[in-house]
Amino acid sequence: MLVSNALIGLREGLEAALVVVILVAFLVKTDRRWALRHVWTGVGAAVALAVVLGAVLTFGTKQLTFEAQELIGGSASIVAVVFVTFMVFWMRSAARTISGELKGKLDRALEMGPLAVALVAFLGVGREGLETAIFFYATTEAAGQGNNQPLLGWVVGLGGAVVLGWLIYRGAVRINLTKFFRYTGVLLVIVAGGILAYGIHDLQEAQFLPGLGALAFDVSAAVPPDSWYGTLLKGIFNFSPATTWLQAIAWVLYVGVVLTLFLRPVPAPVAPAAAPRASVHA
Amino acid sequence: MSRPARPTRRAAAPLALVALAALGLSACTDKADASANASGGAGGPITVQADDTTCALSATTAKAGTVTFDITNAGTKVNEFYVYAAGDRIVSEVENITPGLKRQLKVEITEPGTFQTACKPGMVGDGIRGDFTVTGTAVAGSADQKVAKAISDYRAFVATESDKLLAGTQEFVAAVKAGDVAKAKQLYPTARLPWETIEPVAESFGDLDPRIDGREGDNPTFSGYHRLEKDLWVSGLQKDSGQVADTLLADVKQIVTKSKGVTPTALTIANGAKALLDEVATGKITGEEERYSHTDLWDFRGNLQGSQSALETLRPVVTERDAALQKALDSRFAELNQLLESHRVDGRFVSYTTLTDADLKALTVSLDALSEEVSKVPAVVETK
Repeated sequence: MLVSNALIGLREGLEAALVVVILVAFLVKTDRRWALRHVWTGVGAAVALAVVLGAVLTFGTKQLTFEAQELIGGSASIVAVVFVTFMVFWMRSAARTISGELKGKLDRALEMGPLAVALVAFLGVGREGLETAIFFYATTEAAGQGNNQPLLGWVVGLGGAVVLGWLIYRGAVRINLTKFFRYTGVLLVIVAGGILAYGIHDLQEAQFLPGLGALAFDVSAAVPPDSWYGTLLKGIFNFSPATTWLQAIAWVLYVGVVLTLFLRPVPAPVAPAAAPRASVHA
Repeated sequence: MSRPARPTRRAAAPLALVALAALGLSACTDKADASANASGGAGGPITVQADDTTCALSATTAKAGTVTFDITNAGTKVNEFYVYAAGDRIVSEVENITPGLKRQLKVEITEPGTFQTACKPGMVGDGIRGDFTVTGTAVAGSADQKVAKAISDYRAFVATESDKLLAGTQEFVAAVKAGDVAKAKQLYPTARLPWETIEPVAESFGDLDPRIDGREGDNPTFSGYHRLEKDLWVSGLQKDSGQVADTLLADVKQIVTKSKGVTPTALTIANGAKALLDEVATGKITGEEERYSHTDLWDFRGNLQGSQSALETLRPVVTERDAALQKALDSRFAELNQLLESHRVDGRFVSYTTLTDADLKALTVSLDALSEEVSKVPAVVETK
């Protein structure tokens, strides 16, 4: 009872945190801490919106239609993918500028940054926020009825997500700058591919896109979604053990195209082997 | 390195936030059952006891409207609860029902039919399915407001038509009293048109209706519209024509005032809509009503429009309780309107006498088909 709630908290927390963590790591590594407040603005806005909307929907006299809920979640996911994609390429060009020792011009590159930074943070957190908020109210309600375990589990799970996010952040900050851009870039592309596939699934559930029943593969038996590894795969890569054809095709196309573009004109990489091989595979 | 505290465009994030919030709220629906649940009956929440292998519902039928499920997960796996319509279309779902948790799902179902419910322990597969039947009409709580709105809409319609009737009659009476036969003939059918749209209301005032609209032989004293019709088209204006016209106007003024005070019910509106079509069938399509002027198609138009407008006020109620019927009504009205409009030349309806047997047959067939649908409305809107 505690574990399964913790796993959900972990999954939702990771989904929300991952993009933000990489964004923060990037700003810190490129010495632009002054832009961090835009990240927290975006995160704060998303959390506040989720909490308020969740409360309104839980306790108020309004309810969201199922289709509307899925449309909002799905659309926000796809918009988030667009922004993350731009961010990846923006980071790459920023990385090149850094290697050219032209840091003075960097901050001008960030001029569209406040908007982008806040929006990426907002969307990264906001797209899963509503469902999480409603879930949160359900757990507090259970706690109010004397069953504290769901709420406790939820807190433990979210705490775990924060710790995991922190570890990813530490690891990312520790490695050298070239590696950092290479690894986080690849990671972000794969994460964004997952978000895209997830968003498409939402839109399929809302009947906005067809093919909900047409599964490309179903490995639910091998990777149960309520297992700890299923949770991690979902939390980090939005991996769904039962994936529709449309999701699979979108993921392969997106990751294939974007990763190729991201890795192609390599400006003399220091780390030679691992990353390019991964790109060929994808 | 450098930390230039640049001026930034702070508006961006709040703007995006507002946009998303607006999107969210605009997609909201009313929790229509807030009071219905309290009022009990079949509208109360359905409890769903779920564990790792079972999915037990306290009821597998519900009335159309907002159906509430209280799902409790007593198992060890994370559960989900789905409601599917035919063809596995997801009507609604609730995710992340972890062990020990109780979640609520409210589903707005407007059309009756067979649905399926499913618990998905472990969030995998098709889940534990069960049939779920939704029947008939919506719960009273949500319908009351729609019925009240329909009544006030219909009263507004009657008031508007009454005003038109008065204005048209005044003009017509003036032309008669001025001895301008051509103009009076021109005005006659259009002045009557609003009368035909609100006939069910007007008929409720016993003595006034025959005085205004009675045909020759209906009344000991033949007066009103049809007396003037005869004067204009057949016998020529008489000595007392002006007096008859004055009486008509006085009577119309009375009926206008009274009509505005009428408070119908959903049932009387629906019955009125049917009665108007019966008028067409017995009076207009036979050419009886306007035996001298042969302007029956104008009256036909008025009756049809009155019927359609009355049902238009009931649309939200009918749609909620029987969406298929509303669809049928729409297509039948469209069909008959189109047929009727084909007999207009230069904006004016042709004389009844020019219609061929085939024309009349086509109109009759279409009218009968419409009548059949309209006759189903009273039972649907009747307050249960």
